[in-house]
Amino acid sequence: MYDGKIQVSWRAAAALALCCLVTLAARAQQWSPDPALAVPPVGDVTLRVEQSVPEAALLDVGLVIFNPGIPIDESTHSKLGIFPEIRKAEAQFMPVLLRQVLLATNAWGVVRVLPDEQASTELMVSGRILLSNGSELVLQVSARDASGKVWLDKTYRDLTTERDYPGSEDSDPFIDLYRQVANDLLAYRQSLDSRQLRAIRQVALLRYAASLSEDAFGSYLQQDPEGIYTLVRLPAQGDPMLARVERIRNQEHLFVDTVDEQYVKIYEEMAPTYTLWRQYGREQALYQQEYEARAQNRDRIGRRGTFPAMEQTYNTYKQIKIQKQDLDDMSQGFNNEVTPTVMEASGRVFRLSGTLQSQYNEWRSILRDIFALETGAPAGS
Amino acid sequence: MNTANPYRLTLVLLSVLCLAACSSPPQQRRAAINQTDRAVNFSGFWELDYSQSDNIQDNLNALVRDVRQQSQQRAQASGVYQSAGPGMIIGGPGDTNSGASIIGLAQMADLVTQSQLLEITQDEHKIRVKREEDYALTCEFYPGQYHTVETPLGREICGWEQHQLIFKTLLPEGLTIQQVLSLAPDGQRLNIATTVISDRVTSPFTVNRVYVHYVPQDDGYSCKMTISKGRVCTTEKSR
Repeated sequence: MYDGKIQVSWRAAAALALCCLVTLAARAQQWSPDPALAVPPVGDVTLRVEQSVPEAALLDVGLVIFNPGIPIDESTHSKLGIFPEIRKAEAQFMPVLLRQVLLATNAWGVVRVLPDEQASTELMVSGRILLSNGSELVLQVSARDASGKVWLDKTYRDLTTERDYPGSEDSDPFIDLYRQVANDLLAYRQSLDSRQLRAIRQVALLRYAASLSEDAFGSYLQQDPEGIYTLVRLPAQGDPMLARVERIRNQEHLFVDTVDEQYVKIYEEMAPTYTLWRQYGREQALYQQEYEARAQNRDRIGRRGTFPAMEQTYNTYKQIKIQKQDLDDMSQGFNNEVTPTVMEASGRVFRLSGTLQSQYNEWRSILRDIFALETGAPAGS
Repeated sequence: MNTANPYRLTLVLLSVLCLAACSSPPQQRRAAINQTDRAVNFSGFWELDYSQSDNIQDNLNALVRDVRQQSQQRAQASGVYQSAGPGMIIGGPGDTNSGASIIGLAQMADLVTQSQLLEITQDEHKIRVKREEDYALTCEFYPGQYHTVETPLGREICGWEQHQLIFKTLLPEGLTIQQVLSLAPDGQRLNIATTVISDRVTSPFTVNRVYVHYVPQDDGYSCKMTISKGRVCTTEKSR
């Protein structure tokens, strides 16, 4: 009888231990680094360049300003090493760099940086910054064509070495990552035949047309349950309404090109400072790692509890704190230098009010009103 | 019944440890301590006022008296007679309460409180206490949590305790430094109570340093940090 109770207790203890181990394992999982960041680095990448591409195969690309990936919980920023203002600037910088790389492939039509998603873009590329510092860059990049087909949804990671710095005017310490994205996009495009590419361009135009007048153009397209658009039929050759749509779209492209120029300006002005910031951050991180290793292994001065021993302990800590605070000061230096440029450029387009993104939305709304006036269609339908 | 079964014993120990780990999530442990609505604004420029601050020698004498008393009490408890003369040996088990450790504690307190000027910047979520010739004390405050920073060389915890802001730094080899910042009701005096704790001395050592507001001299120029040009100064006043 007594032994039986003990048996029950052992079983209960075993169950409890198992339960707690599972809980602890779950917690350990929460505390461990994000597995999304643990993808293999891209390594050295050679950009694939097209020699000649038929006009019909040149898709226009829209690169949406990246999601800066700043956690809403501000209390996590310093622990994650995120400087929010720098992340916001990076979110504008990175798509422009990707644009330069895409242009260098000779494989695409017009490549624009957009302040906002535009579903009717022939190929839309968006990104999210998962990790960014001088040593490592991790981006989540996705690409979707106008029909809704996903070309790419992948995490890219690149690491820098000493020889990646100081970088040059036409390069970047993480250029291999951008080249890999460009190569992946090109590989997908090359898997499509000319008929499929033409269909993407037609769907893009008709989706834009339908966004201006659903009544007039909605019936040309069909959307399946997975959200993929297919052409049902095409408007007649020389359709005057479609000609107006194309004219309005060209107006919109003119605006986007102006916006795009602003992003390029921000990129050009920011690049030298940003590269210095990353180089400094990398050197600082390396110094910190080495210093910590040295400090832990160095010979102790004096007996534990005596002033020389305590002074050594304190000064070691003080040194590492000063190094870290130096990085915080540099981030403020970055903000002092780059933020005014970003602010200035953002307010310049056509004297419309607000950020580039709100100006863009305002402009699109004006174009829709113009189209409605011209065609008699209800505005914004 | 085989009570000596090592597997069962391990299992019970594991269960107890796990229960301890599972029962008190860190968020709940921290919840009560950080009331930012009671935050005090310490912003400004401060300079040390020696006349209102503690004298390290006086505090050292007090510490020696305290340690002697402890030593006497221990001796009495063990039935050993000790005279209370000035030459009495201070000591405890092992290296504890040795003369070098006690004086070392006072020297450490002097070292970490040597800053004569402070520049404090503070907003809703963070504070930075820039100390002359030392690293800045920084803290971020968000409701329901202490701010902690962990490095292989030390661990920092900080947060509000009523109207006081507490910084605690736990360093290797049993050394702990705690700074408690509090503001006088008129807002003109800032007290920093610095306590140094060593695992080689049975009593902590506390020094109060009082700082008073001062207005920094207008140099006729203002400077800001930039990355590409370093520190850039202009004769324009900072806005």
